[in-house]
Amino acid sequence: MSDGPATLASAQQWMLDALIFPGRVAREAIEGQLASFSGLSGAEGLAIYQRGYFLRIASCMREQFPALCHALGEPLFNDFVAEYIREYPPASHTLYELGRRFPAFLDESRPDRDQPPEARELWIDFMVDLARFERQMFAMFDAPGHEGKPFAEPETPDARLHLQPAFALGAYRFPVAAYYHAVRQKQPATLPPARASFAALVRTEYTTRTILLGEPDYLFLKAMADGGGVEDGIELVARHLMVAPDEVRRSWISAGGTRQRWIDCGFFIAGEQHEPPEIGKREPGSEL
Amino acid sequence: MAAASGNIADLPRLGLGLGLRNLHFEEILSRRPAVDWFEAISENFMDSGGRPRAVIRAIAERYPLALHGVSLSIGSTDPLDREYLARLKRLADEVRPAWISDHLCWTGVCGLNSHDLLPMPLTEESLAHVAARVRQVQDYLERPLILENPSSYVRFVQSTMEEPEFLRRLAGDTGCGLLLDVNNVFVSCFNAGADPVAYLAAFPCDRVVQMHLAGHQHHGSHIIDTHDRPVRPEVWELFRLAWARTGGASTLLEWDGDIPDFTECHAELRKAESYMDGRFDPAQAVPPERVGAGGVSNPVGFLVPRVMESAVLEQP
Repeated sequence: MSDGPATLASAQQWMLDALIFPGRVAREAIEGQLASFSGLSGAEGLAIYQRGYFLRIASCMREQFPALCHALGEPLFNDFVAEYIREYPPASHTLYELGRRFPAFLDESRPDRDQPPEARELWIDFMVDLARFERQMFAMFDAPGHEGKPFAEPETPDARLHLQPAFALGAYRFPVAAYYHAVRQKQPATLPPARASFAALVRTEYTTRTILLGEPDYLFLKAMADGGGVEDGIELVARHLMVAPDEVRRSWISAGGTRQRWIDCGFFIAGEQHEPPEIGKREPGSEL
Repeated sequence: MAAASGNIADLPRLGLGLGLRNLHFEEILSRRPAVDWFEAISENFMDSGGRPRAVIRAIAERYPLALHGVSLSIGSTDPLDREYLARLKRLADEVRPAWISDHLCWTGVCGLNSHDLLPMPLTEESLAHVAARVRQVQDYLERPLILENPSSYVRFVQSTMEEPEFLRRLAGDTGCGLLLDVNNVFVSCFNAGADPVAYLAAFPCDRVVQMHLAGHQHHGSHIIDTHDRPVRPEVWELFRLAWARTGGASTLLEWDGDIPDFTECHAELRKAESYMDGRFDPAQAVPPERVGAGGVSNPVGFLVPRVMESAVLEQP
């Protein structure tokens, strides 16, 4: 490329800056770059691109975070989006990535971020967690999945149970999954009281389901999501509940118990055999 | 110069097609409507590990398909995105499109993407830059690239040539094909105070592989390319001229905002049949009074799936 202010590279850099930071563009600079037509000045033409840049992205963000938009109201949601794309202008070729950093942005830009956790505004915690849940839901829609391939069956040994690829877990400070689905059902949805909640997201036949979990179930699945096997989950839950692993194991394999429900829900595929955990090594549950 | 591994003269004439939209997936798969072909937005499918990928595979088995991109950014001074091209090629290998198209535009620089189709300064420098990149893309994809005239609202003061000339020289230099968006011709010419008939007269219609039709919003002083309503009568009239000049290039209707049901989109497309012959009437190609307000050019909201609508909650 050639050098100088009129080169293609500098023209593109100038125009992109004008879209991202519309308030910083001097009128003289516009006249230096853009010609005026009889019915449309250079500044008016540029304004069409500036306005379109924000509205286009805001509409996509509202599609990706509909419950958060409901909670905040569209004007405030749009204000957050405007700040977000000034801080993190879109970089990916795909619109699906627009919201990837939005939950973290909401958290890091909160005005009370320097306060101790107990002094922070609860409603902001709720918004951050709701954004995290919605991002998980959105990503799950088009994530690599297991459709068209066999899932685990009741006969699959525990040692070969692995979480399927279209599976995600979340732990939240508010019941955000219930809130999300209330918005989906067009039911009254108001800021709920703080309460720890846990959810699994799983996609089968291209349908994403939210399954609300208790904390022990969450810990069990978290152990597996972190690369462990069923026995790792059992050990972790036993420690959490301060009971013997066999007690957890009985619940796991009981008729209609956790194992059967999760297999029915499509949580698992049959994969390579897991190594047994270091502590409390046991045979696979199906053999107990 | 011939494009890598292909000549646009060998590309088929597909007839009347529709832009493939998420909203219409069920209708298309279950009813198999009599549409000549579909055009899919490449970025909506190239990264998909979910239902969109399964849908496009199924549709490609039943209908001719073209891939139309919005993020190739052929005019950007950033390096070509090799990962993007690899994904695009993988999708093309899978669904075997009749061709792959994108826009004469840039979408960002410095690693950023505005998700808009931004205008090029039309200069010798730009032409050399774009031509070199078109050759690289064509070599990589092993097929001619088809490039569309974008709708525009500004003109860079440094521009030294008109868009038809730029595209004529680009196509001649690289062997690429052209996608003539008739609505964009109307929109850009109105905004620039230029004559769309003169634009078409200067356009290299022999390089046109495909045409686009869409609706727009008229704001009095300018027109926004909103794709959110039926095609304007004056654009249809211009299409009559374009159809004759291109010898009946494959034609596709885009409807991207406030998308109606499939039947209405299809009916709008079929209107093209009544403009395929008859004499062009310049009096019918004049813009009317203001007809819209508040629209966004090149809407992209339709590309984002409405995930919430299909979400299911299971209570413990």
